[in-house]
Amino acid sequence: MNRREMLSRFSNGFGSIALLGLMGSVPFGGNLMAKAASLAGAGDKAPHFTPKAKSIIFLYMDGGVSQVDAFDYKSRLIKEAGENPFDKFKVDATQFNNYGKLMPPQWEFKQRGESGMWMSDLFPHISTCVDDIAMVNSMFAEFPEHTNANYFLHTGIGIQGRPSMGAWITYGLGSESENLPGYVVLDGGLTPPGGLDNFKNGFLPATYQASVLKASKVPLANILPHEYDDQLQLNKLKYMDQMDQSLLGKLGHADQVESTIANYELAYKMQSSIPELADLTGESDATKKLYGLESDDPNTVSYGTQCLLARRLVERGVRFIELTCPNVYADRWDQHNKLKEGHARNAHAVDQPIAGLIKDLKVRGLFEETLIVFAGEFGRTPFSQGTGGGRDHNPSAFSIWMAGAGIKGGTVYGKTDEYGYRVIENPTSIHDMHATMLHLLGIDHVRQTYRFSGRDIRLTDVHGHVIHDILA
Amino acid sequence: MKISKTNRKYLTGAFALLLFCLLIGFWPSSTPNIDLPKTVDFNYHIRPLLSQNCFVCHGPDSSSREAGLRLDNLEGATALLESGNYAIVPGDADAGSIIERLRSENPEMRMPPPEAKKIMSEREIALLEKWIDQGAEWKPHWAFISPEMPDLARSIKEEAPSRQIDYLLDEELARRGLKKSDKASKNAIIRRASYILTGLPPSPDNVEAFLSDSSEQAFEKVVDQYLASPHFGERWARHWMDLVRYGEAMGHEFDIEISHAWEYRDYLIRAFNADVPFGLFVKEHLAGDMLKEARYHPTEGYNESIFGTGYFYLGEGKHSPVDTKQEEADKIDNMIDVTSKTFQALTVACARCHDHKFDPIPTTDYYAMYGMIESARLGPHPARSGKEKLRTFSKLKEVKQLIRAELAKDWGIALEEMSEESVFQLARFFEEGENEEVRPVRDKTADGYQVIADFRKGSWDGWYSSGFAFGERPLMGEPVFDSKSGALKAMQKGYASSRAYGTGVHGILRSPNFILEHDSIAIRAAGKGGQIRLVVDNFQVIRNPLYGNLEITLDDEAFKTYYIDLDLVKGKKAYFQFTPGNYNVHGSNVYHQDRETYVEVEYASQFTGGEPELEMPEMEAKENVKLADEKKILAKWIENDLSLQDFAQLNKIIDKTARSGPGPKLNQLLELRDSLQTALYDSTHFIGMAEGDAVFSSVFIRGSINQQSEEKVPRQFLSAVPARTKEFPQTGSGRLAWAEAVMDEGNPLTARVIVNRLWHHVFGRGIVESVDNFGLQGKLPSHPELLDYLAVKMKEEGWSIKRMLKHMLLTEAFQRSTVAVPESQQKDPTDVYLHHFPIRRLEGEAIRDGMLAVSDCMDSTLYGEPIPLHLTPFMTGRGKPRISGPLDGMGRRSVYTAIRRNFLSPMMLVFDAPIPFSTFGKRLTTNVPAQSLTLLNDPFVQDQAYNFALNLLTKGPDKIEDRIAFIYSRAFSRQASEEEIKNGIAFLQMQAKDHLCSLEEMKNDTRLWADYCHTIFNLKEFIHLL
Repeated sequence: MNRREMLSRFSNGFGSIALLGLMGSVPFGGNLMAKAASLAGAGDKAPHFTPKAKSIIFLYMDGGVSQVDAFDYKSRLIKEAGENPFDKFKVDATQFNNYGKLMPPQWEFKQRGESGMWMSDLFPHISTCVDDIAMVNSMFAEFPEHTNANYFLHTGIGIQGRPSMGAWITYGLGSESENLPGYVVLDGGLTPPGGLDNFKNGFLPATYQASVLKASKVPLANILPHEYDDQLQLNKLKYMDQMDQSLLGKLGHADQVESTIANYELAYKMQSSIPELADLTGESDATKKLYGLESDDPNTVSYGTQCLLARRLVERGVRFIELTCPNVYADRWDQHNKLKEGHARNAHAVDQPIAGLIKDLKVRGLFEETLIVFAGEFGRTPFSQGTGGGRDHNPSAFSIWMAGAGIKGGTVYGKTDEYGYRVIENPTSIHDMHATMLHLLGIDHVRQTYRFSGRDIRLTDVHGHVIHDILA
Repeated sequence: MKISKTNRKYLTGAFALLLFCLLIGFWPSSTPNIDLPKTVDFNYHIRPLLSQNCFVCHGPDSSSREAGLRLDNLEGATALLESGNYAIVPGDADAGSIIERLRSENPEMRMPPPEAKKIMSEREIALLEKWIDQGAEWKPHWAFISPEMPDLARSIKEEAPSRQIDYLLDEELARRGLKKSDKASKNAIIRRASYILTGLPPSPDNVEAFLSDSSEQAFEKVVDQYLASPHFGERWARHWMDLVRYGEAMGHEFDIEISHAWEYRDYLIRAFNADVPFGLFVKEHLAGDMLKEARYHPTEGYNESIFGTGYFYLGEGKHSPVDTKQEEADKIDNMIDVTSKTFQALTVACARCHDHKFDPIPTTDYYAMYGMIESARLGPHPARSGKEKLRTFSKLKEVKQLIRAELAKDWGIALEEMSEESVFQLARFFEEGENEEVRPVRDKTADGYQVIADFRKGSWDGWYSSGFAFGERPLMGEPVFDSKSGALKAMQKGYASSRAYGTGVHGILRSPNFILEHDSIAIRAAGKGGQIRLVVDNFQVIRNPLYGNLEITLDDEAFKTYYIDLDLVKGKKAYFQFTPGNYNVHGSNVYHQDRETYVEVEYASQFTGGEPELEMPEMEAKENVKLADEKKILAKWIENDLSLQDFAQLNKIIDKTARSGPGPKLNQLLELRDSLQTALYDSTHFIGMAEGDAVFSSVFIRGSINQQSEEKVPRQFLSAVPARTKEFPQTGSGRLAWAEAVMDEGNPLTARVIVNRLWHHVFGRGIVESVDNFGLQGKLPSHPELLDYLAVKMKEEGWSIKRMLKHMLLTEAFQRSTVAVPESQQKDPTDVYLHHFPIRRLEGEAIRDGMLAVSDCMDSTLYGEPIPLHLTPFMTGRGKPRISGPLDGMGRRSVYTAIRRNFLSPMMLVFDAPIPFSTFGKRLTTNVPAQSLTLLNDPFVQDQAYNFALNLLTKGPDKIEDRIAFIYSRAFSRQASEEEIKNGIAFLQMQAKDHLCSLEEMKNDTRLWADYCHTIFNLKEFIHLL
C-alpha cells in the first residue's frame, strides 16, 4: 500500500488534514477523501462533469408498489377483469405459484396537471406534482424474490455483499457536510428483506457505509455520551489526546495512529450534530403541516418526519439519503392479498409527506439540486394471486419516478403491454436507473470503478445507459 | 497455457533473470522518472501493462476479442493479423504495429481506444518498445512456475530457518540501502506474539516470566507456549473463517439458520490446535467424506475429516427461489469462488460467463469444477461418530449373522426331517434372480410412469445408503420373532427402513439422479418424524410457498401412499433423500433426529394420469427341490444375500419348520444385538458433503442457465496449473481427485498461497499483498525468493502451520521496533521491505476479547453453540433472532458469537470484519467515526471498563500509583512511566472534581476508576499492535 492509499483508507482524509494542521475546517468525508479514494481504487476522479444534483433522496417503496393500480393505466384490465390471464399472454412463474384472474385497477385513474400524466387516486397528493415528475413505466428487474431484487436495486448485483448505491456515491463524491456522514438511511421502521446489507459498503472501505438514523431521541447507535455530565467526557477526551499524542511522539511516523486520533474529534462533534439534526422544534407549524405531521395517521406523521429530516440532511450537504417504509401493519407494499386495504394504508402514510417534500424543496430553492427517486424492487402482476384480492411479484414490468435536479417534469417514458405485464418499449433496467442517478451527480458510471477480486468493479457492472429522455 | 517440462527448466533461468532485475533495483517501485531497466522482464514489467490495458479486448477471452489479436501469449501476439500486419515482431519494435498504435495521435488508430478510458504513459510504452527490441521474451505468469529453493550462501545453509528468512529479508534491505530498526522492547515483543498467535493480550505473569528469563531461548519458549495454547486455534480458526465466508444463517429474506454451522467452526479450532498438516486439512475440506483413511479425534474417537466439507454449505441461500436451477448455479458459483480463492488464490469465478479476461482460466475450467460440485450432495452427517461406531457396527453385523446361523441350525434340522416327505414345493429358481422387473399389474393409464424404487426386491438398485441406519440392503429376510413365544414368526418383507439397526441410528438413503418427467410422484412409506425429501436441482431449503410439498414428514406407522405434485418442478433433475430425522420444516431448517424417529419406504414411482399399481411377480412353485439346494438358501440367508425368490420360499416354509422358543444362546445374542444397537445411537449432526451421481456440466453461454452448450465439459483440474493430476474418476463427484491436484507436488500455488497467508497475519501484509489473488491482476511478490523459500520449507517440513509460524516469529524482523530509521522511512515509507515492524490496528475480535481479558471477565470455555448476539434497537428486519444475547456475550470470545448474515455484530462490522459473502484473506483497516463512537459510548465497552475497575479495586493494590501501574501492566503489558502515572493522577483528580468530589473521597469509587479504565480502552496503544 502506498502512502496515498494509506491516507484514503486509514484516515478518511483526516490524517492528511491533521498533518496540515487544518483540523475541523474540512468537510466530513469531504472532497479530499474523494480524491484520495479515487487514487486508491482504479476509479477515475469524480465528478467527471458538471453535476446537476448535489444530493439524492431515495424513497424506497419496500415490497413493490402495484404499477397497474398507481401509475400505469391499463383500460383492458377493467374491460377484461375476471378473465383468465393464461388466455391472454404467456404467464411466468411467480413467487407463490397461485394464479388468479385479471384484476382491474383498484383506484380510478385520471390525467393530471398540465402534462396530463395518468395517475390514480391512490396518491392524491403526489398527483398534484406530476408536472415535476418524470415517470418511467418500463422498468424491469431481474429477480422475482424480494431479497435478491432488493440487493439488485441497491447494489446493482442480486447477491449479498456488494456496495450500495449510496456507498458508491459517497466513495465518488464524499459529503459536503462537515460533521455528518455522506450516506444516511432514515429508518422508517421496516428493514427491507436482505437486511441492513442493502445499505452496506460491501468491499469498499467502511467509511462509505450508511449511517442508519432513526427518527427518535437516540437517532444513531452509540451517539449519546454515557457520562451524565459533558465535562466528564471532555476530561476523558483531553486526557486521551494527551496520552495518544505522547504515544505518537514515541512512534515517530504513524499515519494510521494519527488518523485514528483525529477521528475522535469528529465523533465528538457528531454527538451533538446528529441529535441537533433530529430536533425539529425549530420548524414552523406550516412546514410541519405540509409534511403531514399533524395527521391523525401515526404512519403519516412518522414518514412525514423522515421526509422533513431528509430535507434537513440535504440542507446540511449529505449526499445520499434513503428512506425506508413505515410499518403500517399491512406488510409493506407487498400485498399478496387484500391489496386494496394494504396499498391504501401505505399510500396514506407516504403520499402527503412526499408531496410536502417536493413542495418544500421547491420553496427553499433546493429542488433544482436535489434528485428524488421513488422506486420499489419490482412491480406486481396484473392478475390476482388466487382469490385473495392481492397481486404477486412481477419483475417484468414496473414503474418508478424521479423528480428534481436535471429531471424533465411531466415526462412519461417507456411502455408496457396492454395489461401492464411486460415492457414493450424502452425497457429500462436498474442499471439504467443507477447510471442516470450517477450522471446527475456528475459521475460517469463507466469510469467510477473499484478494484476487487481482480476486477475493476462498478455500480452498473458491465451495463447501464443514462435515460437521457427524462432529463431536462 | 500449458507448461512443458523443457519449458520449465528454461523458466528457472527466467526466474534468475528476474532476480537479476531485482538486484539492479528497478522493481517494484518503478516510477516515470527512473530510466528504463537494462533488461525488461516480461513478468514484472510487461505483463502487468498488457493485462491492465489490453487484455479486455486482446486477452484470453475469445468472445470479446477484437481484430483477432490476442496479446496474452507469444503465438497470438506475433501472428499475422486480419489487417496484414503483425502486432509484435520480436527483436524489432518498429516492424510490428503495436507501438505505432499506442503512440498514434489519431483517435481512430490509437490504442487503447479513447472509449476504454485507459491511458498508457510514455514510459510504459517505452518499456514495451524496449522489451520488443530485446526479443519479446514471453514467460508464464510467475505464480504458475513451481517454487524452487533459492540458493543460500554457504554461511547460512546450516542455520535455523528463522535466520534464513532474515538473511533473505536482509539481502533486500541491503540492496536498497535500508537500515533496520532497533530491537523492540521485550514487552512489545511478547504482546505481539500473544496477540498474533492467540488474539489475546499476554497475562502479566507471562510478561513477568519473559522479562526475567535472560536465556537465549526465552522468546522461543514464549512462542512455543502460545502455539500450544488452546486459544491459538480460536484465533487462527477465525482467520480461516474469513476465507470460507463463514456464517450461521443464510441471509436472504428470513435469515434461515444453517444447520450446525458451528460444528465446522469447532472443527477448525481443533484442527489448528492439533496442527493438522495443511495438506490433510485441504483434503478434508474438499473431500473429507471420501478419504481412505479418515482422521479421528485423539480422545473422543469421532471422525474429524468429514467436518471439513462443511464449508461448502456456509453460503447464502434462498428460501423460495422461483427458479431452482438458477439458485443452484448461484450457490455453486459461490462455492467455486470461495474454493478457488481460498486454496489457489485464483479468481476462477470470473470464468462463469466468459473465459477469464486476464488469467488463463477458460470457462471449461469453471464448468469442470461446476460439474464436480453439482455431483456432490449436501446432507446431515453424524457429528460424533467414528471408529468406535464402526467397530460396533461390524460387531453388530456379526451378531446378526450369528443369530441367523443359530436359527438356521434349528431350522436346518427341521428341514432335514421333513424333506424326505417332500411335502412342500419350492419356488422356481430364477437363474437371473433379481433382474426381473416389477411391472404394474393394472396399469390404469396410458400416459406412462417410471418406477423410481422398489425395495421389495431386496436390493438398493443403485441407491446410496450412507451411514448405518438403512444397512447394506433392504430389510428383506430380517427375522421377526413372536412377541409372546419368542419363536421365529416370519421374515421381514423387503423395504427400506432406517430402523434396520434400531431407531436413532444415523444413515441416509438417497436415490440416483432422475428427471422429473411426469405429473406426480407416489411413494409408499411409513414412519414417525422421519423425512422424505425430493431434492430438485440440489435445492434443500425446502418450504412454502413454493416447495413445501417436496418434503414429507411422516407421522403414520402404517404404510400409506403419499403424493408429490410435480407441477412446479417438471423437467428438472432430482433425487430422493430419506432421513430418519427431519429438518424442522417451517422453523429452522436445522436437522434433528432423536431416538424415536424413523422412515420406511417400500416403493416409489412417478406417473402421469392414474397411479400405477406395482405388484410383485407371482412365484411359481417348483417341485422336488433337493435338500442341498434348500440348505444353500439357508446359507445365503445367513449371509443376508437372499434373492426375492429365496425369500418368498423361505417365508412360506417358516410355519412348518420353526421350533418352539429360542434357546439361551439365541437370547444372549439378541440381548447383545440390542445393546450394540443402542451404542449406534447418534444425536448430533452437521451438514457436509456426500457423493452422488456423476454430473458433467455444459458450459453456460454467457453464464445463462438457459443457454447451455451441447457438449459436456470433461473433468479436469485448472488447466493453467501444472499439477500432475491423475485421471479424474467418471463416477461420483471427483472431489478427491481435485483435492489431490491441489496438493500435488507439481502444484505451484498451494504452498505459496498458504505461507503467504501466514506471513500476512504475522507481518500485517503478505509477500504477495493480494493474498486471495495470485493471478495476473494480483500484486507481484515483494520478496519472490523468500516466498519460494517458505513454500518449499512448508512442504519439506510436512505442511506444519505451527512450525512455519514459529520460524516467522523467531526472526529478527519480527522483533524489530516499530520506530523506523528516518532515512529508511524516506526510502521505503510503506515498509515493503520490513525495515521496521509495521504498526497495525487490531481486529474487532481482538479488541473485544482484549477488553474481556484485561478486565478479567473472559470465560475461556472452548467450543459449542453460538452465543446469541446482543440486539440493539437499531437491529431490525426479517428473520430477527428470537432472543437477544447478553451484552457481554457471556464473556466468551468473539469467535463464539452468533454470525447471522442479516444480523452481524455492529461492533465487528465497524472494525472491518468482512461481510461473509466471499473469501477475505485480508481485511480492510478503515478509520470511521463509528469506531470512536463505539469505544466512547457503546455499553459493552462501558461495562468492561466498569468490570476492569471493579477487579482493580477488589484484587489490585491500594495506592493510586500502584493501581495505575496495575492497569498498565494488564492493558499494555508494560510498566507505566513516572510521567504516565503523574498524568493519570492528574486526570483522576480532574475527573473526581467534576464528579463534585475529591480524589481522596473517590479513591475507592468504582465510578472514578471505571472512567479511568474507559480512557485506557480508548487509547490508541490499546487497539494497536506496536
